[in-house]
Amino acid sequence: MQSAGAPTPDDAAGLLARIAEGDRDAFGRFYDTFAGLALGLIRRILRDPAASEEVLQEVFWQIWQEAARYDPLRGSPEAWLVMRAKTRAIDRLRAIRRRGKTFVAPVDEAMAKTPEQPTENPGVVAERRGLVRSALDGLPEPQRRVVELAFFEGLTQSEIASRLGEPLGTVKTRARLALERLRSLMKREGTTPA
Amino acid sequence: MNRDEVIELAAGYALGALEMEDRARFEALLAAGDAEARAALRDFESTVAGLAAETAEAAPPDVKAALLARIDAEGRSRGTLTQILSAARPAPPRRSLWTVVAVGAMAAAIAAIAVGLAVSTVYDRRISQLAREQALLKEEFTRQEELVTILQDPATRVVALSGLPPAPEAKARMLWHATAGGLLVAQGLPPAPAGKAYELWAIAGTGAPVPAGVFAVDARGVGSLRVAPLRSGGPPDTFAVTLEPAGGVVAPTGSMYLVGKL
Repeated sequence: MQSAGAPTPDDAAGLLARIAEGDRDAFGRFYDTFAGLALGLIRRILRDPAASEEVLQEVFWQIWQEAARYDPLRGSPEAWLVMRAKTRAIDRLRAIRRRGKTFVAPVDEAMAKTPEQPTENPGVVAERRGLVRSALDGLPEPQRRVVELAFFEGLTQSEIASRLGEPLGTVKTRARLALERLRSLMKREGTTPA
Repeated sequence: MNRDEVIELAAGYALGALEMEDRARFEALLAAGDAEARAALRDFESTVAGLAAETAEAAPPDVKAALLARIDAEGRSRGTLTQILSAARPAPPRRSLWTVVAVGAMAAAIAAIAVGLAVSTVYDRRISQLAREQALLKEEFTRQEELVTILQDPATRVVALSGLPPAPEAKARMLWHATAGGLLVAQGLPPAPAGKAYELWAIAGTGAPVPAGVFAVDARGVGSLRVAPLRSGGPPDTFAVTLEPAGGVVAPTGSMYLVGKL
């Protein structure tokens, strides 16, 4: 996230290097910069504010302990964090769904129904959010569905295929086309994360 | 594996949507240092990360505070352990086994305290949820255990109840034990209308029917009822089911749906 005062991607990588050495302040800055991004994604996936904050804490605790494993050649710190946040959130979602098949379901349902209280982050983020939204909207509907079912609902490609009643091969191709298209849409909008 | 397939796997991987087998194949490529796979993944992951901006929120300060407290607790435990261990080192010849044990125990105690500090607010919520789940499981287990006891006891009787004119196809089985109570399982009953429920009655000889609980049936017409031991009336020889107001009544008022004798 490149809002005013936020570190550039190089800075973010620098922060991670300092975190790896046990620098508490660097960790605080990294959190301030990226926690909102991670939390938004986690909440979009889990829809439960309390569980989302738990997952957020797990993700950042993992960052504190494993910052040394960040490899700049693999991608930006932002992408590294988002992937971790997403994986953790989906793991939690699957655990909730598994439990949902037992008699504890009503508890989870009640939790899931807790009304969302979006805490908007104004300014640059909102502006960029609009741009990303328009990038997603720029996808043909079938491609957008595949991205949303995978990324926000944690379905696997086979699950998406059976949900949409499409062949698996079609779903795989759509996922690829969607990401290629998103990439070029975001570049055009100037919103590509580094 | 051709190039298209690698790109397709990278896209699925970045979305986190690959099946286990595909994921293993792609991770093998990454592990083998496949440049194409790595480049494609890097590219797609940063695109996918951009999607997260759609939902970005403000960073919650309480989570940050909890994390920093956890870091501080971890730091304290590291420092203290080091101090204790180095303090214990200077006089090795005179150190008895007892000292070693004492230092070890102290270190363990301090580590335990540090861990206790670290496992703070976040886990409280999870612990209380686990406690709720455990209570439910325990309840369920007790219920199952009671049923097994009833089933194992030779004194348990089985009563077949058959359908009456309102639902001639309906039938039920009643497991009955004089002191432990019993279990009714019914099928083929029409779903009760709004505000109504089925009520079970136990009847001893020519005595008045004793209410034994109300139950509902699901869409398939199946319902069950765990029946507590009866507190009044003699040993029942007849069981019947009637349709009554949802809360149950003390004496039957509605049509009889099922009846059976011991």
